[in-house]
Amino acid sequence: MSSPSTESSGSSSGIEVLRLKFAYQGASVLSDISLHIGEGEFVSLLGPSGCGKTTLLRLLAGLDSPGAGTIFHGGEQIQGPSLERGVVFQNYSLFPWLTLSQNIELALSKSHQQHDESWRRKHASDYLDRVGLKDSAAQYPSLLSGGMQQRGAIARALALGSPVLLMDEPFGALDPVNRAKLQDLLLDVWASTRKTIVFVTHDVEEALYLADRVVMLGSSPGRIIQEITIPFERPRSRHIFQSRGFVELSERIDGLFREDVLQRIESESVPVREAI
Amino acid sequence: MAAFANQPNASIASADTAVALTEVAGAPAKERAQRWPRALRLHGHEGVLFIVGVVLVWQFISSAIHFSGKYLFPSPLLTVKTLWASLPELLLGTGYSFVILLPSLALAIAFGVVWGLLVGTTPALNRMFSPFARFTSPVPPTIYIPYAIALLPTFRMAAGFVVFIGVFWPVFLNTANGATAVPQHYRDNARILGLRKLEYLRRVAFPATLPHIFSGIGVGMVFAFIMLTVAELFGASNGLGRFVQLYADYADYPRMVAGILYTGVVVWISMEILERIKKRALFWLK
Repeated sequence: MSSPSTESSGSSSGIEVLRLKFAYQGASVLSDISLHIGEGEFVSLLGPSGCGKTTLLRLLAGLDSPGAGTIFHGGEQIQGPSLERGVVFQNYSLFPWLTLSQNIELALSKSHQQHDESWRRKHASDYLDRVGLKDSAAQYPSLLSGGMQQRGAIARALALGSPVLLMDEPFGALDPVNRAKLQDLLLDVWASTRKTIVFVTHDVEEALYLADRVVMLGSSPGRIIQEITIPFERPRSRHIFQSRGFVELSERIDGLFREDVLQRIESESVPVREAI
Repeated sequence: MAAFANQPNASIASADTAVALTEVAGAPAKERAQRWPRALRLHGHEGVLFIVGVVLVWQFISSAIHFSGKYLFPSPLLTVKTLWASLPELLLGTGYSFVILLPSLALAIAFGVVWGLLVGTTPALNRMFSPFARFTSPVPPTIYIPYAIALLPTFRMAAGFVVFIGVFWPVFLNTANGATAVPQHYRDNARILGLRKLEYLRRVAFPATLPHIFSGIGVGMVFAFIMLTVAELFGASNGLGRFVQLYADYADYPRMVAGILYTGVVVWISMEILERIKKRALFWLK
């Protein structure tokens, strides 16, 4: 099923979001989102909680359907989840009743249906090795730390063989040290696989450190404030956090968010004042 | 005779209880625990002490009314002695009962789980079966017993059938509810992996529903024993319920009470075994 995508070449590759709208129980969550994500690009969706960035990721995954507008992946409209797009959630990417290895094997059983069980077991350990979890293959997720669980989730996404990786605040629940380790692991994985990665976060520094391009989302309703191409050369090291360009860029982004919040408060409070 | 043999035992136990009662009235738990020698500490033994209390009350009542009637209310010691003497008969009865109980229980759990998972995850089946289930499941299953005995050719089939009914509904209802409410993130993961319906049922819905399934089985087990013993009261020639009914007919109340006590122990052990299995199966629950 995940045979090298038939339409992943040519000009129509990548993800194309066109005039997307999504409402939940009458309230507009996303309004008029248009976005292009190139093949092999690392894009970060950055925004405060409630800006609809997780919703946008779910729509990209095909887990929810848009109210209006369309999303194309590789020239085809997204109708539902597909092995073309693997997902890593903040928690819960692994089934707690399966060992790490069994979780990976389950993914392999879908992405490599032609192979048998012993092949899957062997390759599951390869994928776990890749994220530094080889010795934990027989462990159940609930016995692992949050960082190890997310490593397992990345291994599973890799085992799915999807050309696109959608990540929903995958390191949001981790302590700073593990967060840094996993960010570097992800950059390694991306450098060696050149997958398209869409990475949702509310952490400005994380977005700047990881992504080629940051898409800033504002809330009520969720919409794109600005897209910023990140100029830092790769491979990146953690030293850039202290660099002038990095600090300036993150301040600029903070400023843009602040401005957006102020604008929204003003535009919302006008009718209230009039009412009084 | 047995009532007198009982006395020394009882006085030891009552000394114990007296200690326990003064302790309860005393200072906070930790201080209390330190003031008394280890063997006399109450903390952590409340359950045992309560049972000792119940036995004492039982002993008191039975000795008070002892000479008024013929063993209508046998003392604890007499009951235990009778239980010991009747043990071969009771064990044989357990065997007969379990030959009916276990296959019906297993069949009802299998059907309840499989059908519950299907109904819980398939909207069309849910719409089809729910109205019927809502109407049928609340019927107290004991009400079927006389008809089942009349309708089915052997007692064994009749008892097996009513046990099945008693177990099926709680297992089915719990499983179906659990399967409908499989947490969103498990369903999302299953969709991301592209699991087909059967794979989803086996690898995701079934394990995710196991906590519900076990609570259904817990209720179902209790029902199974109720159904079986009641059915045996009606018309069995062997089994635990039959044992109790037989000696009630003979007015041999020590044996009858021993039978009740023994049945309690059997149900208790069965529930403990279920609890162990549940703990093992749900190891992944935090």
